[in-house]
Amino acid sequence: MIYLNQAATSYPKPQRVQIAHAASLSAPPVGQYRSSLTAEKDIFDTCRENLGKLFGIEKDSRIFFASGATEASNVLIHGMDFLQKHVVTTATEHNSILRPLLNRKEGKKYTTIVGCDGKGRVDPKEIEKGIKEDTKAVFLNHCSNVTGMIQDVEAISRIAHEKGVLLILDASQSAGCIPINVDEWGVDGLIFTGHKSLFGSQGMGGYYLREEIALKPLLYGGTGLDSSRIIYYEPPYEYEVGTQNTPGIIALNEGVSYVLERGIENIKIKEQGLLREIYERLAIIEEITLYGSHQTNKGPVLSFNINGLNPSDVAYILQNGYNIVIRAGLHCAPLIHQYIGSEAKGTCRVSISDLTTEDDVEAFLSAIKDIVRSMG
Amino acid sequence: MKVIGKTESKERCTEAGWYAYDILLDEDIDEEFIKNLKRFGSLLYMPMLKKPFFKVESSNYLLKGMKGEPFFRLAIHKDYEELVENIVQDING
Repeated sequence: MIYLNQAATSYPKPQRVQIAHAASLSAPPVGQYRSSLTAEKDIFDTCRENLGKLFGIEKDSRIFFASGATEASNVLIHGMDFLQKHVVTTATEHNSILRPLLNRKEGKKYTTIVGCDGKGRVDPKEIEKGIKEDTKAVFLNHCSNVTGMIQDVEAISRIAHEKGVLLILDASQSAGCIPINVDEWGVDGLIFTGHKSLFGSQGMGGYYLREEIALKPLLYGGTGLDSSRIIYYEPPYEYEVGTQNTPGIIALNEGVSYVLERGIENIKIKEQGLLREIYERLAIIEEITLYGSHQTNKGPVLSFNINGLNPSDVAYILQNGYNIVIRAGLHCAPLIHQYIGSEAKGTCRVSISDLTTEDDVEAFLSAIKDIVRSMG
Repeated sequence: MKVIGKTESKERCTEAGWYAYDILLDEDIDEEFIKNLKRFGSLLYMPMLKKPFFKVESSNYLLKGMKGEPFFRLAIHKDYEELVENIVQDING
């Protein structure tokens, strides 16, 4: 099988991730603060430290684990008390951001959604226009999971801070394949998932929040710390409650270690090279509509359509006729399609990882040429 | 050709309010079977593909599959689910 649906979940994982994950299931359980068993190193803090290195976060103790980006965004949106407070976000967002924001009480009234251009770029000036006097935060998708457009985080961060507004960055699609510098860019909160370019397992992700920002927990429960404290009248709060997903954290740590050792720049260059090949060779096929270009869309994701064919049919033909897996539809990011011109049926999305090969790309391009030819 | 089973498909048609089923047949799909599906709606057939693809579309359901496979997919709008059995019966003659 040729798997080009890496933006959903990466596959395969580096061998070291597979080995570490499997080994964790046959080893005595290591629980954060909960066991007299001690590992050589605390995997929780080791993973935080590695994530901090990768994301440019000095205070890595402010990185918290969650089941993924969706849980992380809900923790931040509900815990930072944005209920009936105005926020700005963009049409490029995934439903993991849109739904928690818009399903707040009167969420629609308190959310301004800024549009994007035909390739998914958000103009920082439009963000500025969307900020009102009572705006509390900007929620920004770093890399579109539909077009691969990377937003100008530094410019948007400057604007947000000039207006006294927090910037929360969703790095689900960029973490592990595009450089991220949280401290340098002035990002106040970061949402990430572990199962995409960080090569962890599904059900693992997390968030970072600057220490000075108040956050009430969304969940309460056992933490292994200070068990006699039952009611939390004031900080410090604890955010990782219940038995943690230790095998998931071990796998995530191995994935992050792989990325750090391989080098984020090397991964970026390799992926952009493969994407450039796909963009250039699809662009010369008259029957294909592309939603971006290699000059402007630098994330590991590309959207296209074959004119006259439904994207779901293209995906079906690729999967059943060529054993190639892509994704078709709206990709859980429904609003961007109104701006890029694919609102009727969505797009076909190809997404790659550091482990995608040139042969995979060749097989995909050859299958697409076959499909177009057969439409005759 | 007879229908020997029906399973709910894992494909995410439900996102748009449609349900999908994989309809299992007692033989591999051949060209005659595909051409006979015209009675259910407009037929798109791509015989030049390595594995020929077909799709039959009507306003409330669609059928799609590949020649040589013993199954095809039936997607149906949630308000018209009762048509699934009618289609199965029709195919079984």
